[in-house]
Amino acid sequence: MAEDGHEPASAGSNEAGDGESPERLGSQPELLAQMKVLRRQARAARHAYWFPLVLFGLLTCASVPFYVQNVPRGTGVFETSTAVPALPFLGDFPGFLTQGYLAYYWIAALLGGLLATQLWYWWHARRVGLATPARAYLITTTVLLVAAIVIPPLSNVQHPHSLHWLHGLRVLWPGDLVIRGTFPFLIIAVGLLALAWAERSWALTVIGVVYTGTALLASLYDVSNVLYRIGWTVAPGSEALPNVLLPAAVLLLSGAGTFAAQRRHRIAA
Amino acid sequence: MTADQHPTNGLDETVHQRHRLGILTITAEAQRAEFGYLREALGLTPGNLSRHLTVLEEAGLVQVEKGYSGRRPRTWVRITGPGREGLATELTALTELVRRHADRPIS
Repeated sequence: MAEDGHEPASAGSNEAGDGESPERLGSQPELLAQMKVLRRQARAARHAYWFPLVLFGLLTCASVPFYVQNVPRGTGVFETSTAVPALPFLGDFPGFLTQGYLAYYWIAALLGGLLATQLWYWWHARRVGLATPARAYLITTTVLLVAAIVIPPLSNVQHPHSLHWLHGLRVLWPGDLVIRGTFPFLIIAVGLLALAWAERSWALTVIGVVYTGTALLASLYDVSNVLYRIGWTVAPGSEALPNVLLPAAVLLLSGAGTFAAQRRHRIAA
Repeated sequence: MTADQHPTNGLDETVHQRHRLGILTITAEAQRAEFGYLREALGLTPGNLSRHLTVLEEAGLVQVEKGYSGRRPRTWVRITGPGREGLATELTALTELVRRHADRPIS
């Protein structure tokens, strides 16, 4: 008997609780089942991905003012610029769907969101006693954000002949994906898929795939067209908002759903 | 079938013990697990859990990290590469044993 009164799993224990010799094989199905339960419980206790879903949903909602255009009264014409954009991946594009400062908003929002998510997982690990290996998520999102910032200027600047190959970075420009200023959604989407891998969560994988599809739709198609067809006219200057609010709704709804599910599990445990 | 191929040969006595197998299963599921979580999940007392952790640490299957959270001492347990391999081997052997047991005709 161990000092605490907890009998080891099977008879014949020594001081370290070595009770179960390989010769005693009668309880193997039970042992396997117990390990499955322990793994399932640990995974459920560790899961905490509702927070980044809600956080990035709220950050997307907060970006709405940057997507609203000031329409010149009476003309219905937007002014566009022919200047080479500095941060085209993040919304600084010479189109008419986004306005100034959007790129700076997304740099701050993505960096702030990453930091808040890391702090959240650190706090959750201390509270629950199980840490999620969220480093892959941090690295993936940071690399994408840095690439989105660095690639356009590198491929635009007139380099000396020896660095001419940097113009080849234009291959990495994602074409139509950037013209609506919604490319940051795709950075969030890839980050969520990396987080799903770290969390070993099928639910988050499904959410990540659905969100990726929504982010692609928002980047390639004017969602306001669909609203128009069902009789809902979007106010002039607000045409981009459905493209922003649809991905935000996916994040917020899935975040609220997983929060409720994770909370229910913890109460049951 | 030779004796070497029998699934029982895949069982390691250090890993096979129920609580140590539980420790490895939980720590394989996380980047690291806190002493308190392991104690509650496995229904062990601190002394009993410490002894199991010592056995696993001496076998190189887990790493034990001691630190503080404010003034509270905290002990975190992290599974090692050999620990993951040992756990995988053990679970494979157990699954094979169960399969054989299920396939055995009733006499």
